[in-house]
Amino acid sequence: MALLQIAEPGQSAKPHQRKLAVGIDLGTTHSLVASVRSGQAETLANSRGEHLLPSVVRYLADELPQVGIKAQAHLVDDAANTVMSVKRLMGRGIDDVKRLGESMPYLFEACDQGMPLINTVSGLKSPVQVSADILRALVQRGESSLGGELVGAVITVPAYFDDAQRQATKDAAQLAGIQVLRLLNEPTAAAVAYGLEQDQQEQGTIAVFDLGGGTFDISILRMEQGVFEVLATGGDSALGGDDFDHALAEWMRQERQIPAELGLAEQRFLLRLARAGKELLSDVCSTELSFDGWPGDATYADLELTRERMNLLLDPIIDKAVRATKRTLRDAKVALGDIARIVMVGGSTRSLRVQERVADLFQQPLLTDIDPDRVVALGAARQADVLAGNQSGEELLLLDVLPLSLGLETMGGLVERVIDRNTPIPVARAQEFTTYQDGQTAMAIHVLQGERELVQDCRSLSRFDLRGIPAMAAGAAKIRVTFQVDADGLLEVSARELTSGVAASVQVKPSYGLSDVQIADMIKASWTNVEDDRSARSLREQQVEADRLGEAITMALAEDGARLLTSQQQQVIENQMQRLVAARNGHDHHAIAKQIEEMAKASDAFAAMRMDDSIKLALAGKSIDQL
Amino acid sequence: MDISQDYFSCYGLSCDFAVDSVALRQSHRQLQQQHHPDRFVSKSDSDQRRAVQITAYLNQAYATLSEPLKRGIYLLQLQGMDPLAPTNTQMPMDFLLQQIELRESLEEMSQAQDPETQMDSMSSRLQHQASQLESEFAQAYGSSNFEIAETSVRKLQFIVKLQQQLDALEGALLD
Repeated sequence: MALLQIAEPGQSAKPHQRKLAVGIDLGTTHSLVASVRSGQAETLANSRGEHLLPSVVRYLADELPQVGIKAQAHLVDDAANTVMSVKRLMGRGIDDVKRLGESMPYLFEACDQGMPLINTVSGLKSPVQVSADILRALVQRGESSLGGELVGAVITVPAYFDDAQRQATKDAAQLAGIQVLRLLNEPTAAAVAYGLEQDQQEQGTIAVFDLGGGTFDISILRMEQGVFEVLATGGDSALGGDDFDHALAEWMRQERQIPAELGLAEQRFLLRLARAGKELLSDVCSTELSFDGWPGDATYADLELTRERMNLLLDPIIDKAVRATKRTLRDAKVALGDIARIVMVGGSTRSLRVQERVADLFQQPLLTDIDPDRVVALGAARQADVLAGNQSGEELLLLDVLPLSLGLETMGGLVERVIDRNTPIPVARAQEFTTYQDGQTAMAIHVLQGERELVQDCRSLSRFDLRGIPAMAAGAAKIRVTFQVDADGLLEVSARELTSGVAASVQVKPSYGLSDVQIADMIKASWTNVEDDRSARSLREQQVEADRLGEAITMALAEDGARLLTSQQQQVIENQMQRLVAARNGHDHHAIAKQIEEMAKASDAFAAMRMDDSIKLALAGKSIDQL
Repeated sequence: MDISQDYFSCYGLSCDFAVDSVALRQSHRQLQQQHHPDRFVSKSDSDQRRAVQITAYLNQAYATLSEPLKRGIYLLQLQGMDPLAPTNTQMPMDFLLQQIELRESLEEMSQAQDPETQMDSMSSRLQHQASQLESEFAQAYGSSNFEIAETSVRKLQFIVKLQQQLDALEGALLD
């Protein structure tokens, strides 16, 4: 270690010129703010020495809102004005929020963009406003701890957050008056927290295993010369520590033969007992679970829970995380043995069984020295320090990927992928489309995100129209749609008709969409429903083809049927048309294909007649040298 | 940084099928260190937008040059050819028959007694074919036989698609 460090003039900032920047982990249950001081990242505490800020905001009639522990105290007695878990509402529409059901005891009202608004004594509040109030509290804490105004913040988001959720998070920061230096994916932040890149010798592939209460994220990163490159990200957004509690509670119920129809209080009792038992077994090998205070009429004897028994109950749930991990390794084209470091994030990675299983999977020790609740904020602080320009020379660089594929709606409700998931960002891609009907002068552009093949199964991000396309024959216009995703993972879409230069563009600002569970389903289902998707796709394709053929023949019959065909010939085609329409309205793509073929056969002669006829017309009255 | 130049020039490489993947990755890293939007956070809006454009260009360039199939197609496009044109469908009959046979054995594989061994053997068969086609392409392209090069790259596309289907099947079976 050098005794004296001499900096080149102008190369490194003097301490008092250091720009103040923070990393913010805006979490579902609690949030944190962290900063780099004297070369070390640390989370910042309030005046009472508390680091975790509960993500709870209470609105009052004529006062500023309360944030954190003060607000949390009123979750029960002032439930309607005290908002928790607002992260689950970010970038969501009123319909999604209704599906969250009883877990959200607020009075919702829809605003004109379909965004849910919470009716409080201090007026209607959007999730973006509530998040902004949490951010304001964190920024204030940052400014008073660091003693000055902040130049900006790095705010973390779950890797599986879609464009709408990212945009809502950025909007909240804007509302709170804080400059967003970057939106950073939580697992990427965790990888950075350990400062592995500072050791020159250190290079290799890192896995970040992030198991929270309700979600599981796995990211595979490569580290080389100070660059962290995300190779793939995946997971299961409906898998977490809450599932452990439910499995334990169900076992207790069966062991003591408690009837399956439980009231809310009884369910809560079992879950609380499960959680307590789970935590105790981190220190001891066996514990007695006591049913004292059971809210129902019956009484139940104590129940012994051993670590072995608990492991048996947790293993099927951990198996799911292990499978998702293997799948993501395959996406990253990395073998298990190639992983050099494993970073553990999220409260549920405190479970000894989880640690055992993950260490067993990778056959090596885990990185657990940093508190799994704080590791994300600490990584964000390091990135904020770099982005604010407080370091010089070969700096840390984070290269992230797009978490969910982006595409456009095409004929028949199908999604045409424009950018695949796990593509490094920033990225720009263009795709060309054409018109479907003769004389079409406008085209609706519908932007989607997700892994499924049908529009209805993906998240709708935005719709806009490209108008003023010059009237041309179907298929003659060339419309180029360009997607650009920036380093925050935010999308901008533009469209241009190439022959005329007519342009339209939109910054994707969605206001409604799917619930977290649907997002989870979107990801999970893409793995399991490949077969369904394929046959659904074939069906849609055949339907589109049938419609196109049907339309063309109807038009041709209207124009030339009477002139070129006998009434008997017309009848044959019309009969076949009825069979085609009947098949098209069914669900068997083979049947539609067959009728399309029959239709083509039945109308072949007619098509040939029209062709001859149109050549005759075109040639009539022209001299040879005009041709 | 000129984002209208061809992908080879931006990494200082010659327009050739043979690419040193380690050197390519290192120059890609260096260029990203220099041009990534993270380096322009405190700069003007137009500088930031430009950084996004340049990095998107670099990501596209790297993705194209680091995969043999994409690299081959790109090299032909630089010669004004369009190997992926939908009109371009003629393939030698023996190759097509072989493809049909491979596809059939892929379909039967999911019901096989010992799918893993079969998948492994097909995978190495495909890899062998791919590397053969790649050297065929390199030779043809190097001696400016672009039609022959085009046939090789289109065959390679068939092989790569089969490999992807095999990977997907492997993923589904191992889950």
